[in-house]
This record gives sequence, C-alpha cells and structure tokens, in this order.
Amino acid sequence: MNERKALLQVEDLRTYFHTEDGIVKAVDGVTFDVFPGETLGIVGESGCGKSVTSLSIMRLLDEKGEIAGGKITFDGEDVMAIPESKMMKIRGNEMAMIFQEPMTALNPVFTIGFQIMEAILLHQDVDEKKARQMAIDMLKKVGIPEPEKRIDEYPHELSGGMRQRAMIAMALSCNPKLLFADEPTTALDVTIQAQILELMKSLQDQYGMALVMITHDLGVIAEMAQRVVVMYAGKVVEYADVHTLFKNPRHPYTWGLMNAIPRLDEDKEVLYNIPGVVPDPLDFPDGCRFNTRCPLATEKCRKEEPPLVEIENDHTAACWHIDKLIETIKVARAGESA
Amino acid sequence: MSNDNKSKLLLRTDNLVKYFPVKAGVFRRVVAQVKAVDDVSFSVYEKETLGLVGESGCGKTTAGMTVLRLYEPTSGRIIVGDEDTTHFFMPSLKARKYIKQTYIEKFSDLKEKSGSVEGAISSIEDGFDKKMAEKYFKEFNEDAGEFIKSLLGNREEKRKAFRRDAQIIFQDPFSSLNPRMRVKNIIGEGARIHGLATGRDVMDKVADIMTKVGLSKDHMSRFPHEFSGGQRQRIGVARALILNPRLIVCDEAVSALDVSIQAQILNLLSDLQKDFGLTYLFIAHDLGVVKHVSKRVAVMYLGKIAELADKKKLFDNPLHPYTVSLMSAIPEANPEKKKQRILLEGDVPSPINPPTGCRFHPRCPIAKDICSKEEPKLQDIGGGHYVSCFFPGELKRGF
Repeated sequence: MNERKALLQVEDLRTYFHTEDGIVKAVDGVTFDVFPGETLGIVGESGCGKSVTSLSIMRLLDEKGEIAGGKITFDGEDVMAIPESKMMKIRGNEMAMIFQEPMTALNPVFTIGFQIMEAILLHQDVDEKKARQMAIDMLKKVGIPEPEKRIDEYPHELSGGMRQRAMIAMALSCNPKLLFADEPTTALDVTIQAQILELMKSLQDQYGMALVMITHDLGVIAEMAQRVVVMYAGKVVEYADVHTLFKNPRHPYTWGLMNAIPRLDEDKEVLYNIPGVVPDPLDFPDGCRFNTRCPLATEKCRKEEPPLVEIENDHTAACWHIDKLIETIKVARAGESA
Repeated sequence: MSNDNKSKLLLRTDNLVKYFPVKAGVFRRVVAQVKAVDDVSFSVYEKETLGLVGESGCGKTTAGMTVLRLYEPTSGRIIVGDEDTTHFFMPSLKARKYIKQTYIEKFSDLKEKSGSVEGAISSIEDGFDKKMAEKYFKEFNEDAGEFIKSLLGNREEKRKAFRRDAQIIFQDPFSSLNPRMRVKNIIGEGARIHGLATGRDVMDKVADIMTKVGLSKDHMSRFPHEFSGGQRQRIGVARALILNPRLIVCDEAVSALDVSIQAQILNLLSDLQKDFGLTYLFIAHDLGVVKHVSKRVAVMYLGKIAELADKKKLFDNPLHPYTVSLMSAIPEANPEKKKQRILLEGDVPSPINPPTGCRFHPRCPIAKDICSKEEPKLQDIGGGHYVSCFFPGELKRGF
C-alpha cells in the first residue's frame, strides 16, 4: 500500500488560534496520508479539530488562525510554500470542499448556476456558453432533475438534499484530485443522507478523486472510508484501515466511542459511558489528553504524552496501555452480561 | 386502540389533528393549511417509553407539542389517565361545543337507535366512552347542562395539575434555558409556582434534584453558560423532574449532543425512569436512539403514523415499506456488513399539499394503483403490530 505515492501528506500539523483568552491548540500534531482515489475518514466529536485540519490544508484559516508547525505536501508540492496567487488556482480546481450546511455555504443572492459557472470560468479556459453547458451536465450527474431549469434557481428554491447535490456539483465541476467533505450529510434526513452517500460513492468511482470524509458519525465512516483517523482534542489517537479499526480498536477512546452509540443490530441495556466532557482547548491536561476520561489512566498518562506507535501493519494508536484495553473490554463485557 | 397490555394507560390520543393555517395577502386570508399532524392515534402506558420517530417535517414534534397543549389541536381527543383533557385549554364556549359533539349528541343518538339507556351503553365498545356514557346516563340522568358543568368545573385547578403532570425536555440545551436566570431558579421556578415547596425548602429540593441528575449542587448559583452541553441538558431534565411529572415528552432530547454525551444522557433518562417510574414520549429522528430507549415505537411519515409496534417486532420485522427503507438507509457502524440499500427517490412532499391516497406512494418502491387512490388505514395485523399499508411486508430488507 505504501508503495503508491501519496496524494496528500500531512506531517505533524499544528494549527493554533490566537484568541483573547489565550492560544487554542485546535490541531496539535496531526499526521496522515491520503492516496489517490481512496477515501480517508476523519472521525471525532465536536471540537476535536477535524474541521480545522481540512481548513488548514486548504489554507482557509481566518486571521486568528496560524499554522504553527508541520508540513503539508499536496501532489509533490509543499502547500505552505505556495504563494497565495497560485493557491487560488489550486483551491476549487485541484482540491475542493463540501460543507455541512448547504444553506449557509451557498450564496443566497446568486443562482446555483452562477455559482457553479463561477468556479468553471475561474479555473478553465472556456467561454460562458460552454461553462453553462458544463454546469448543466454537472447538475445532471449529481442527480438534479430538470437541470436546464434548475440551473437558474436560487438556493432557497431547492430542498436540503438538492442543495447538497448542487454543492457537490460545484465542488466537482473542475474535476479535483482531492475532495474534502466536512460533515456533508449531518444536516440531512437519513433517507436523503443515503442518497447523497450513494451519489458520492458513484462519483468517486467515475472521477477517481480522493475523498477526505470528515464526520462524527461512525456509521458513515464504516460505510464510506477505507482508512480512518480518529481524533481527540487536536490529536490523532488512532489510525488504521476501517476493518481493523472496527474489529480491533486499540485506543480506549475509539473503543468508548464505538460502544456509546445505540445500534440497530444490537440490544444493550446500558450504553457505555465515556465519563466527563471534552477538555477545554485553552487548558488541555498534561500527558495524554484523554487521561481525564480514560478508565485505564495511570500516573504515567498524566505526565507523559503517548506517541503514536505502530501496533501492527498500518495500525497505529497513541496510548500507553494498548495491551490493557483488551482485558478491560473483557471485564466490561462481563459486566454488561451480568 | 385495544389494550392488550396489562399496565395502565397513561396517555391516549384519538384522531389527533393539527393544521397550521398559511396566511397570505393584505387581509391575511388563510390560503392553505399545513397538515402537520393528520389523524394520529396512539397510546402510552404507564412507566413505558413510546418512541416517535420520523424524518424532519413528519409531524413528530407537533404531535408532542399538541399532546402538551403547547399547540391547541385542530381536532381529536387527548386522554390522560382517566380524564379527557382535550377541553382543558379551550375557550369555554368551544369547550361546551366539544363536549356536546363528542359525548352528548353521540350518546343521545345511540339511545335513540337502541331504544334504551342500557342498550346504548352496551353498544359502546370503547372503555373510556362507555365510562363517560354511564356517567352521563346514570350519574347525571341525561342532564346535559349538569354534565357539561361537571366536566368544565375547576378548570384552573385542572389546568395547573395538567401542567404539573406533563413536562417536556427540549432538543437544544442552549436555547431552552434562560441565559439570565441562575440554575437554581430555572430548576426551582416550577416547584415554587406549583407550591410544591416554599422558601428555603425550594432550594433543598433543587439541590436534591440536581444530585439525582448528576449535577453538583454547589453549582446551583451559576448561570447556564457556565455549563457544557451535556450538563445543560441535565438542567433541562432536572427542571422537568422537580415537578414529579407523570408524563415527560422528550423532544429530540439528545440530538444536539456529541456521541459520548448522548450516551450519558440516555443512561440518565433510563435510570430516572426506573427510579421514579416515569413515562416518556420520546421523539427523535435517530432510529438507533429510539430503539435503545423505547418499549414501543411509532414511525411517522408526513403527519400520519405509518407503523406502530412493539420495539422488537418493529425492528425484527418491519412491515411498512417506509420503515423498511428508513432502516436500510441508516449507515451502520460495521464495515463488514455491506448491505443492499433501498434508496428512496426524491424528497418528502410538502405537508401543505400531501399526495392523495397513501402519503408515501410517490416514493414507495412497491406502490400500486390502489395506493394513489385510497388511503390505507392503520390496522392491527396481529399482536399489536399496527401498520397502514395495503401490502404490508412485501418490501423486504436486502441484507
């Protein structure tokens, strides 16, 4: 797998926000690769830094945010060294992004056709007539009925699912190599979510782009991703292929997350409870950032930060007690059945 | 709906309807009706949880709000315990009319038809109606005026008792707590208004309830913004719980929370149910959550109940094509399971102008001619498994 050349390499990325209350280390040492044509899932709860990671890679941070360290390589180029003028050519053209809330991400005063054509005209050498035809083709591809008519409609005239389709059409209009999807289905109903996920899968097959799927929903991850990054409090806690991760989670946070969701295929009397809350980003605990909520935490966890270590081929986790978790799970399971 | 359950009925809605008028033009004329809840009947038994699940716009929240009379129903009947509460919040003229239509006129007709009081009473099948008929004929000797008077008597007290007995937990713990009130006052306000405690005792009660929902009583003088989302939701739970309610409507009570916090609140709700014998009407869009908390589940689509059954029956053997599609649409946290999805086409139609016949037919993969012409009734097809479909069970899940 590693023989292939990675499309995107992120090494030890650190993004800090300078706020009035202090420095928020939203992303603090994140490393992962994305290979051409694959889907990487980034999963974590709100505030874990998963969205900021993607914004950092696209260099879309506001003035308070700063990439404080690390290296981002996209298609062989150092993203941080690219001048802004060239970055504008890459953004929307080679890397594109789909946002969570299609209503706020689309501009309400322009038609969706105008907004899709804007991206095409900016990045491709075509005239307006051709661009319009390309936009209509794109709308057809994402499954919007009557695209010739719909292209002149405003975002408010479309339903939530249709808006998300229009946004996907916009993101894919220049055939990007890499697509970030930041919670693309969270605001949608389940039957519409199913439609959008199927659409994204088929478009990925068609266009062969790499997809970074950012979500809090483990179900979506299991369905879409080939490899998964689990984030907690600005750090990667576990990194593995999707089958290994779900079968054999090695970080207590990953395991807790998986057992905290009520599932359709299981009956549980009591859900596993990750005690406490996500720590304040202004004041992360010393050592392992999960130590305040971890059932396995020891003195060492409170003092030293665990490194990401490789457990087996392509499966890494950042925990001092990787071996202990298996026993804990056994005890917890016994407690459940008792 | 027949009662094949041994436990006592706490809440029952009969043909509940709630339309919202759409007004337009200079004179604000009513040009259309949003049929948010359209002929919905369900029962909730004491100490159980009924889950109400469906997609946005299906009317599940409106149904919950109407039960609590935060919306006045357009028509239908809401029975709590052994009392008809429908007329509690109506203006008195309307309440009189309601009682006349629902009971007096119906009973008089029955008497005429069967020729005797006994015949009329015995012809009534429904237990609650029978009791009302006995009351009307025997206790009040068909004196309509006195009958109405007795039902409308003590309205203020009845309203207050209803407000105390039926509570709600809202979805968004950020907008449902007054940011300018201290937590002790948010939680204690109800107890004070209902006279459950006075003076110092209120604060003792607040401290007690806070401990029960997992908050530190030392934090009672804080403001809502000083708490995290999960803790705020606990404040919402405490506010409902302090009145010792019989029914709690949980309206998407965990939807705004992160997965790990959601599990904490779900566990808290189930512990409290055991400790206090609470009854929940649990409204949510997440089938996994509903399955976890409920004993019985009602699936709603576009203002109607599509299917209602015991949790196990519903999830093991869903019969309505909408339920089947809904279940197959949910991404499961199991990468080994590659399921065959039933993809529904299009969006949920507008409740202003719902499709004729079965409301699901434009999106239904197995719709036939009859589905667009006739409306299927919600029928018990055995063992309390209600489904409103002409072809129940014909659409199978593809696993």
